Amino acid sequence: MAAFLAVFVVCGVFGLEAWPLTGWRLFADARQPVQVVWQAVTVDAAGHEAPVAFGDLPAGFHGNVQVLKGFAGLAAAEQAAVCRAWADAVRARGGQVEAVRIYHTVTDVSRRVGERGAPPARELRWTCTEAGVAPA
Amino acid sequence: MRRLEAAARRAGAWLFAPGDPRRLAALRIGLGTVLAVRLATGPYLELARQPAALFRPISFLRLLDAMPPPTVVVVLQVVAVAAAVLATAGVAARATLPLAWVAGLPLVAMTSSIGKVVHNDVLLLLVLVPLLPAPTGDTWSLAARRGRGSARPRAGSGVSPRYGWPVRTATVVVAGAYFFTGLAKLLHAGPAWVTSGNLRWVLYASSDAQAAPNQAALFVADRPWLAHLVALATLALELSFPLVLVRPRAAWVLVPGVLGLHAGIWVAMGLNYWPMAATVVLVLVDWAALADRLGRYNHFFRLKKSHRPTPDTSMSPSAPG
Repeated sequence: MAAFLAVFVVCGVFGLEAWPLTGWRLFADARQPVQVVWQAVTVDAAGHEAPVAFGDLPAGFHGNVQVLKGFAGLAAAEQAAVCRAWADAVRARGGQVEAVRIYHTVTDVSRRVGERGAPPARELRWTCTEAGVAPA
Repeated sequence: MRRLEAAARRAGAWLFAPGDPRRLAALRIGLGTVLAVRLATGPYLELARQPAALFRPISFLRLLDAMPPPTVVVVLQVVAVAAAVLATAGVAARATLPLAWVAGLPLVAMTSSIGKVVHNDVLLLLVLVPLLPAPTGDTWSLAARRGRGSARPRAGSGVSPRYGWPVRTATVVVAGAYFFTGLAKLLHAGPAWVTSGNLRWVLYASSDAQAAPNQAALFVADRPWLAHLVALATLALELSFPLVLVRPRAAWVLVPGVLGLHAGIWVAMGLNYWPMAATVVLVLVDWAALADRLGRYNHFFRLKKSHRPTPDTSMSPSAPG
């Protein structure tokens, strides 16, 4: 038990992740008002975009923030597989998906418009279709 | 060096001081219940159907290419929940509690294998570790009722170091978890975690991400002085947790404080940390002392009732002849 406590303390002090032991980094960073957020949207046959409602999808899809953050580092085949998984999930819920677009958005949460943040600056980075993933 | 040795001796003496078997049993019952509820209601079957492309494994799940298949998950879940229920009831707790923990571990790991580490159940799992080899079922258990132990020990009876160290180790884990959470804020953000607009930006971003603006989050974020105050109170609360190791009465402040913290996070950000809050309450409250106190009240009320002047029923028509 002494070993367990020792490892627990070492992980806590040095912020090491050895799950279930953890570095307890909960909201540990100081946030800035300007925040970079990645956004995935589906595109239907008419060209209309709709944000992927990850919260409405099954639990396995709820890691979207981290998956999107690491999207640039994935191989092309892995990127295509991720887009396909999202598109299939949206289709399974009755949505029509011709393509998935991934945007890089920059939001300044300190700029408020009523009770909401000002619209973010958005830049298209990737478009996923049946043919593959095309960088913008 | 001598000081270090003396400190280690004092820590050892504190850790292995005698403890009440009922307090250890209360941890088994409380934590076992939380574990059973979490394992019974977790989204493990949904996670098992996750497309492999989205799998972001942690720890030992890195050995796999995808989430464990649904059949394996169902078997693990049934075994883990059944074992947790039996452990809670105190049926062969020395076998059923470790079985529940081992079978539940991969299930909980699945919830952290979608990209982000979920700390919700981690504290529960870690606090249970010292209970796994401990004699948690010696009292307040079905086994004890069947006569293998004392079903209703009085205060002070059966007090032993073997009942004390698991409870104190669990207390160290709870105190450490919150202290390290505060320490991580200091190490990664420094005083800016309190003095900058950090909490305002967190709350604005959280509100903006919700379907409807969150009025509680906006109420704090719109008032910079309040956001600084809440941030300071949070950090102070987290860093104060080790106090409970030297001054157990600090729990009177820390427990309501942590309940308020988690309730606030839930209301303002929609993040439900109830298993962490429940774990803190279960570990820091001295349930044996509480049972004694309630027992004294019950005894007092029974005495009061028996000394109450009873009406003379001898003349009553319904009095038995």
